[in-house]
Amino acid sequence: MMQTGIRPYYPDYSTVPVERQINPYADNGGSVVAIAGKDFVVIGADTRLSSGFSIYTRNQNKLFPLSETTVLGCSGCWCDTLTLTRILKSRMQMYHQEHNKNMSTTAAAQMLSTMLYYKRFFPYYISNILVGLDNEGKGCVYSYDPVGHCEKATYRAGGSAGALLQPLLDNQIGQKNLQKPSQEDLTQEKALSTLKDVFISAAERDIYTGDSVLIKIITKDGTKEETFDLRRD
Amino acid sequence: MFLTRSEYDRGVNTFSPEGRLFQVEYAIEAIKLGSTAIGICTSEGVVLAVEKRITSPLMEPTTIEKIVEVDKHIGCAVSGLMADSRTMIDRARVECQNHWFVYNENITIESCAQGVSNLAIQFGDSDDDGAAMSRPFGVAILFAGIDEKGPQLYHMDPSGTFVQFDAKAIGSGSEGAQQSLQEVYHRSMTLEEATTAALTILKQVMEEKLNSSNVEVMTMTPKDMFHMFTKEQVEEVITKLS
Repeated sequence: MMQTGIRPYYPDYSTVPVERQINPYADNGGSVVAIAGKDFVVIGADTRLSSGFSIYTRNQNKLFPLSETTVLGCSGCWCDTLTLTRILKSRMQMYHQEHNKNMSTTAAAQMLSTMLYYKRFFPYYISNILVGLDNEGKGCVYSYDPVGHCEKATYRAGGSAGALLQPLLDNQIGQKNLQKPSQEDLTQEKALSTLKDVFISAAERDIYTGDSVLIKIITKDGTKEETFDLRRD
Repeated sequence: MFLTRSEYDRGVNTFSPEGRLFQVEYAIEAIKLGSTAIGICTSEGVVLAVEKRITSPLMEPTTIEKIVEVDKHIGCAVSGLMADSRTMIDRARVECQNHWFVYNENITIESCAQGVSNLAIQFGDSDDDGAAMSRPFGVAILFAGIDEKGPQLYHMDPSGTFVQFDAKAIGSGSEGAQQSLQEVYHRSMTLEEATTAALTILKQVMEEKLNSSNVEVMTMTPKDMFHMFTKEQVEEVITKLS
């Protein structure tokens, strides 16, 4: 028998271990933007679901109401989003049954963080933004990384165009790098029009963001919903 | 005690033909041998007062701990088998911390009691998570705490049943004390009145003479939360008793 090195030579099949991989994740794109004010919070997500250069659908809702006062926006791996939001829905119900009250936005924010961290070594590939009214009725925004780091903010952009939009929000909402920053409180109208503007900009540059935006406006009177068309190419 | 006592008091989870679990009922009886503990809930806060049985002058009274902090906003008074109470208090503390960890908020008093209740009824056959307690816990607990609903007092017995009370007494002197509580309690009671009332009643039902080393007093108020009375503070209340 012919020898190659120390390994016997079998011409028909390989005797060395061959590594094969599957990729459990997909990036289905999408962007989420949230802006909080004193007594309201608005959150918008585009409705395009895509993979590479193909579009799966032009109207996919990526906003998930968790309670009367809390909404979660998800973008990233769509199958992970489906699973996470289903688990969240059942956790919200279990909390209601165990503690005889509705979960507050702050509690939901912390719970999402722990849920994500419990999958530290096989994370949900989702960029999450959770918004709602806190116990004082103030609007709040929480953003997460895939392994559960949670940050409270007043405005946030996440998803495929997140890095593109955040500096724009820093300037327009956060009043950063302005000669004369406005002293007035942010109004709901200004928040809403800024949100639409940034999505128009995102749709120009990011191929994973487009078609339309679904917006939810949460106030103490309840949640209002509206849509806004973006370019569809 | 039970005229029909029979073989049915052997197994911890065997019902008698009349539908009773004797071991649980015996455990409830065991509480009546324990030291007396009184809790009163007012709109200003909750007060807990317990007697400590100093059986020997050589005993160190401070090492008997019958009122414990479970979380900043929940305190417990226990009566019955002290060793059993440790296990239950441990569970109460775990419930509180776990709730804080997952939800970043204080657990409600009711949910804390619910958590401990789940432990209380896990006697009998062991299940998947290893050996279970072989008998019911011989402990009654008073939960005093403050949550979004305000000051609250809950009582739990060895069967795991928990009920909210305005005022409740447990332990050997509980029958007399509960009667007295019904007479003195009213809804507009101040915390100071409640503290005095609790110690007055404790004084009546205790066999020993009440002094600052054989009672423990704790208040739970929105301002100071869990506050254990110092020896001096207890003395101050005692001197005011008639």
